[in-house]
Amino acid sequence: MAHLDTLGSDKATTGEVSTDFRASEHHEFLTASRQALASANLQLALARLGDTLGQKNRDAYAAYPGSSAMRELARGIKDRTLAELDRHLETLEASVHRNGGQVHFAADAADARETVLSILKSRGCRSVVKSKSMTTEEIHLNPALEAAGIETVESDFGEYIIQLAGQRPSHLVAPAVHMTVGEVAEVLSRHSPEPLPPDATALAQFARGQLRARFATADAGITGGNFAVAETGTIVVVENEGNARFTTTLPRIHIALVGIEKVIPRLADLPVFLKILARAATGQTMSIYTSLLSGPRRAGQVNGPEEFHLVLLDNGRTRILEGPLRESLFCIRCGACLNACPVYRAVGGHAYGGVYAGPIGAVLTPLYDGLTANEHLPHASSLCGACQAACPVKIAIPELLIKLRDQLHEAHEAQHDQSRLENFAYRAWGWLMRKPLGYRMATWLASRTVGRSQAGSRWLRRMPGALGGWTSSRDFPAPARERFRDWWHKEGEQAGQSRQQGSSQQQGPSPKTDASQRPSEVRNRRP
Amino acid sequence: MNREQFMARVRTAAAAGRSYRVHVNESIERAAGYVGGGADPIERFASQATAAGGQVDVVDDADAAVARLLEICQQYSARNCVAWDHLLLESWNVRAALAGRGVEMSSAGTLPGEDAATRRWRLLSADLGITSVTFAVAETGSIAMIDDAGCDTVASLLPPVHVALVSRDQLVPDLFDVFDALEARKSAGWPSSVVFITGPSKTGDVELKLTTGVHGPKHWHVIVSR
Repeated sequence: MAHLDTLGSDKATTGEVSTDFRASEHHEFLTASRQALASANLQLALARLGDTLGQKNRDAYAAYPGSSAMRELARGIKDRTLAELDRHLETLEASVHRNGGQVHFAADAADARETVLSILKSRGCRSVVKSKSMTTEEIHLNPALEAAGIETVESDFGEYIIQLAGQRPSHLVAPAVHMTVGEVAEVLSRHSPEPLPPDATALAQFARGQLRARFATADAGITGGNFAVAETGTIVVVENEGNARFTTTLPRIHIALVGIEKVIPRLADLPVFLKILARAATGQTMSIYTSLLSGPRRAGQVNGPEEFHLVLLDNGRTRILEGPLRESLFCIRCGACLNACPVYRAVGGHAYGGVYAGPIGAVLTPLYDGLTANEHLPHASSLCGACQAACPVKIAIPELLIKLRDQLHEAHEAQHDQSRLENFAYRAWGWLMRKPLGYRMATWLASRTVGRSQAGSRWLRRMPGALGGWTSSRDFPAPARERFRDWWHKEGEQAGQSRQQGSSQQQGPSPKTDASQRPSEVRNRRP
Repeated sequence: MNREQFMARVRTAAAAGRSYRVHVNESIERAAGYVGGGADPIERFASQATAAGGQVDVVDDADAAVARLLEICQQYSARNCVAWDHLLLESWNVRAALAGRGVEMSSAGTLPGEDAATRRWRLLSADLGITSVTFAVAETGSIAMIDDAGCDTVASLLPPVHVALVSRDQLVPDLFDVFDALEARKSAGWPSSVVFITGPSKTGDVELKLTTGVHGPKHWHVIVSR
């Protein structure tokens, strides 16, 4: 799977650094996580995230009886579309031309930056307003625009804060979620004649005033796109603030940078996605504003851009499309898996080091940025499945992470840097699992020895020798004192006896367990 | 990049990717996600739009709707409004009613002899935007509007208060129905801008605390006439 490691494999992990992980991309998952776990403010923010957005997502799915069916339908649309992506892109291109817009093709990030810059320069644009777009983050557009002397302002409130703070977004839909209201007030106050109070509403009003002037004077607006409808040439932008509407209505040029995987064939496919996107992202039934933008203003219209440019971005997507991780291209960037993930909610978005964070980031960042450079990310998951349960297109994220782990293992094996002990241990484990007698003997031995001696705590805090790597940052569940097999046997016999006695109350083995056998006392040990 | 190379690359990758297609339950139909308006679509619309942070009045007729509009103007001390040149506003005599209360109402479109910058300033300084809708969606409490000269969607964006006037026949049960209706317009030329609005401008970007009116209107009213 060497083809996965094209972009960033040369960026080897460096030693101790004192980087501000909020500001720059990096390959330091473990160090950054440690920092994140030590930050009280961040921990507070992350707890809030799971309790509000995560809960609202689950409530919204539960309140909509069709949610599971629509998620399955959306998944099917994505799968079918990707199977004939070339054909749908050609339709999209023809539709945009028919609407009077222009289409550009960008193979990679540098290509995309160049395309956007040449559109802006050739039309004498000096200032740009942007609405929130992860794709422009992915190609690092802002520094390129600034370097070319084009004044660039993010207009989404969260992105505006992040831009003024000189940081990176830490969440797909709530980019400044890691900051406290006090920190935000401090950052915005630097750009205000008088200090601003630590009050969310007052700060939003300040941003409104600052950005209104920008919208009215900007030469061009740059957006991403949630969907691109092939048959009508429509870019769909979903948002809550109205900044994307300003960005696409007032400036004379609109440039939309859209990944090729965002195409959907028909207009009739769109409501399927709209019915699940906001529910997944924020628990809303619909986001506040959904704009269907199809080219420049028509004759007679007085609003909307005079020019419309669609930049279609590959940047590694075709490489993913042809391989076993193809399903990751279904992602509609809602952020639901982040809110649901116990790892994201412990370490936050910046720890992941790439543009995309959370469970889907742990899949996408290695794919876009190189697997070996990001080897900790596929392991930054307990494989609990909460991400898949939250995903509006039901991406099997745990399976994709396992595939990446497998590829990492193969890469290590090819380089012969897997220890012989580790190899032996896995082979022995594999052999044991295939031999019922051997397995029975091993579990019997474990329950009689470690199981009995650990009957009190149920968790091993430290394991000997090479196994110590596991317990250096987390506990290992101790073998049970009584094997399930033995318990089942015993309960089954008792049940059989009581049935013979004519009792109708106890039928088969009951799920009665020893209180000490429940994993309820999981200690939250953090490094 | 060269278009042909780009497309050739996509074609090859899409073909190779077909070995990795996922299993999907193909028997599911759109109907499984159809919600509709229920027994009382107006009631459903009102409750959904209210849940989204809107303020909804359901009234019996056009006169009651205009009376409610005047109250709202008074509530925000609105002195000048921008409004759509729309059949519904004409037939409800909105302009005359506002003039009677000393509230100025100008078109959201371009006035004779007005340049773009002047118009933009006029719209930005309006106290209140009055529009109708192309559709109102009972399922979600959304309104949908197709941008057109005189019926400019910016009237729902620039002023701090937006009031949408809706008559019963504009109400459709479900999002699927709206897209079916839009579908029917495709052959007549697809409009450059269609927007769905479901609530006042909102952000939760600071500590996930919801605050309204960050870019668009802080107050979103819908008046529905039975």
